[in-house]
Amino acid sequence: MPFPILRTPFVVLSEIISLLEPNEIVTASFCSKNIRCLLKRHYQRGKPLEWRLLMINHDSWGRVSIETSKNGEQITVMSAKHISELQGHELKQNNEKCPVIYFEDLRLGTAMIVDYVTGLFRLDVFAVVMDSNGIWAIDWVNNRQEKMLGGVQLIKSLKYNSNADETLDYVLRNARFSLYFNLDYNVSDNFKFDGKLGPMKQLWIRSNGHWVTCDNLMNFDGLAIRIQGSKLSISDFNAFLRHWRAGASARLEYLYVSFEQETFIESDGHETVFTGGYSIQRTDGVEAMIQCSPRWFLMGVWH
Amino acid sequence: MSSTEQGTSSAAPAEPTTAPESAAAPEVPESFYYVHGKDKVVHKVSAGALQHSALIHGMISNLGYTEEQAKANPFPFENIDGDILQMVVDWCNQHKGKPTPPEDTNLPKQKEKLFDLVLAVNYLEIKELLTYCCKQVAMMVKGKSPEEIREIWMIPTDAEDEAAEKEAKKRAGKEAAGETAAAAGDAK
Repeated sequence: MPFPILRTPFVVLSEIISLLEPNEIVTASFCSKNIRCLLKRHYQRGKPLEWRLLMINHDSWGRVSIETSKNGEQITVMSAKHISELQGHELKQNNEKCPVIYFEDLRLGTAMIVDYVTGLFRLDVFAVVMDSNGIWAIDWVNNRQEKMLGGVQLIKSLKYNSNADETLDYVLRNARFSLYFNLDYNVSDNFKFDGKLGPMKQLWIRSNGHWVTCDNLMNFDGLAIRIQGSKLSISDFNAFLRHWRAGASARLEYLYVSFEQETFIESDGHETVFTGGYSIQRTDGVEAMIQCSPRWFLMGVWH
Repeated sequence: MSSTEQGTSSAAPAEPTTAPESAAAPEVPESFYYVHGKDKVVHKVSAGALQHSALIHGMISNLGYTEEQAKANPFPFENIDGDILQMVVDWCNQHKGKPTPPEDTNLPKQKEKLFDLVLAVNYLEIKELLTYCCKQVAMMVKGKSPEEIREIWMIPTDAEDEAAEKEAKKRAGKEAAGETAAAAGDAK
């Protein structure tokens, strides 16, 4: 049964709009210019302050998502895909929960959908999530809005793996953000970074943290730092703790480091897997891994 | 539940037939008021149930009616259809003195009446019922395409909006021309 929404009083219309999910609002905005203006005016009067707009550019798929609450749940409100994904088929409707637009130039398309959604809700881009093919978004967002990004996330791609080291170096040096930097990305064993990072609230290296040196750790300015896949040694930690005790890294509240998995083969051929631990070196150069907890101590020597 | 009577006038309603619902707590006699819609059918509603409506609650507070005066002067809501007012009164009675749960199964389900119900509820300023009705309207477009939403919410296309705008301009032009001609005639 149809419901003539435009004939309802202003208060009712506002109430209905406020009950819609962001993806439904974006979809409704495509009904007519009139509706689009009405929705824009609604958000001009009151921005949804708790909403966070994310620009996602990953595996040849541009998306705009919105987090409506602090539990981190994201709703994709608009998508951009490459025209080739249609593969000559007719456009099917209703398979997606939000409008999908197909472009020859996916970068242009992603920029267009971000412009559209930010314009509709009067929101700035809060965070950028990208793979190595999407790092253009950092400069693009910095040039289009005064407000600094809240977060940056670089993730590995199934499609693009070239220039991984250069990409991470570029992102670490150029991304400006106020809250968090998340990294789940593959770089070579030779990758090194000699710059500073932060200030930020959170740094989370979810995998392949082997490149983080003691100097890096000292130069990361964050409240919470979590590094997984680390190769830091016990002397690195000693140096870091001396640095901290001298009053440096003063903002740090939480540091968690987990280590790469190492497999030791004992003399009888038995394998022992160390998932984490400190790496130490004897004066003659022989290296060992140590794990300890309040209840036990484990040491494996490399031969 | 409310009582209803057919064919009585707003000025002199006949005695409502149904006993009040307050059998469970009869210690303090509950006061009742009377309302009628477009069809002049009078509904007897307790003051507790009417608390839901900010408009009626305000009227009651301002008028300071005794029960006798209230019986003689039902609140007239000529802009609300009788069946819609019945739904609203039923809902107010069911939710007398309790908050509305998020998923209220006692709410009116007739979708064909939803538009009129929304207008009535908005007019009567019943906040909880309005929110529920608006949720129903919002639910209508869940998972729908723009074309489907346009159909469900009766949204004109851009072409239809443009045509309507042209028509309105044309009409306004004609009216303005007519007024100018009339003014010129008067001047002569």
